[in-house]
Amino acid sequence: MKNSLIRSGIVAATLIAGATLLGAQDVRDRSGDPLGKLDPQTRYAVELMLDSAKLAGLPYGPLESKALEGISKRASGRDILVAVRRVLRTLRDARSALGPLASADELTAAAGALRVGISGAELTHLASVRDGKMSLTVPLIVLSDLVTRGVPRDTASLTINQLLRGGAADDDFLGLWRSVERDIVSGTDPGVALLNRVRQLPPRVQAGPPAAGVRPPEEAKS
Amino acid sequence: MTDEFDSLDANVRWIATEARRPVPVDADARARLLEAVRREPVPTSAIPIMAWLTEPRGFSLPPFATAALAAGLVGIGVLGGLLLNRDGRRAEQSAVAVVHPQLPDSAAAHSVKFVLIAPQASKVSVVGDFNGWDAGATPMSSRSADGTWTVFVPLQPGLHTYSFVLDGSHFVPDPAAPMAPDDGFGHRNSVVLVRKPAT
Repeated sequence: MKNSLIRSGIVAATLIAGATLLGAQDVRDRSGDPLGKLDPQTRYAVELMLDSAKLAGLPYGPLESKALEGISKRASGRDILVAVRRVLRTLRDARSALGPLASADELTAAAGALRVGISGAELTHLASVRDGKMSLTVPLIVLSDLVTRGVPRDTASLTINQLLRGGAADDDFLGLWRSVERDIVSGTDPGVALLNRVRQLPPRVQAGPPAAGVRPPEEAKS
Repeated sequence: MTDEFDSLDANVRWIATEARRPVPVDADARARLLEAVRREPVPTSAIPIMAWLTEPRGFSLPPFATAALAAGLVGIGVLGGLLLNRDGRRAEQSAVAVVHPQLPDSAAAHSVKFVLIAPQASKVSVVGDFNGWDAGATPMSSRSADGTWTVFVPLQPGLHTYSFVLDGSHFVPDPAAPMAPDDGFGHRNSVVLVRKPAT
């Protein structure tokens, strides 16, 4: 009986060690070669784009992240390439619009805005009206979210423009976003929800002149 | 052959003849010989423990004990992998402000609390650029009966894109966070901005 227990213990210890080592090996594979699950052709193309981004001084993290996201979502190699290429293109366009001093976060947020249909010229204009060195990251995140939720692109862009001119801070943009999101979930028309909530912002952030093309809520409802 | 034998010296011929004569063997001689060999001690290894470890032996376990042992081994292996995984991805930088609806409370100040209410899900995790979009890297836990899943994740300052994964394959954005544009794969993601510490 005693020998049997000893033998069982040895077998168990051996198997535990093996299982743990296998788990550790899996982690090392994932962390050491994150793109290892891509097929060779896709991987080569993705790495070329990563190199291209590095050479251009663009943040390449979003490209690698997009490839890993595609792997996680079981996308085809072709779809992954298309998605990564689009990220690279929008990052380039974002830097052209915001200038060489834009931070990596601003570029990433601006790339998102471009993907929802905001033009490079609009981004340039937003960058020009901001207060001093204020980061555009949060305003652009809110802008992309609003358009994604159904707010008309022009209305969203002009509203963000107006708030930037009024010196709105990140918390103002986030507060606006939360209110509009709640209204949209409750069934309010997205454009109307935005315009209604803008009117409720503190006067200090509405100091900028009304943005051309933004209709008052009453008119928008009709 | 005979000529060569005849030409040999007489003494040599006598030795050869004696050598060719059949030897009478006892019928039990073979059995006695084998028994004597068996009684000889088996040569042992110079390292007794090695001999003990390499000696083939068999043992049996009841099916229940075998199943319990296998389940325990798998669990230990998975836990070991998870622990190693978490250690390898531990963030080193900290942030003082997080643009996220769920601000950190009881956990470390630089951690971001992710929350999702999903009563129907049996397993929820968060994936994003901070964990390589690995659905097994950051599992969420649910300790309440209303299906609220939570996890604290240390994030480095910057803009992060993420999503929740329900039951290993169903990707859903965070309903309490700003949405990112179409991800290119038919889903929506969410974004969280971790601000750099004020200087």
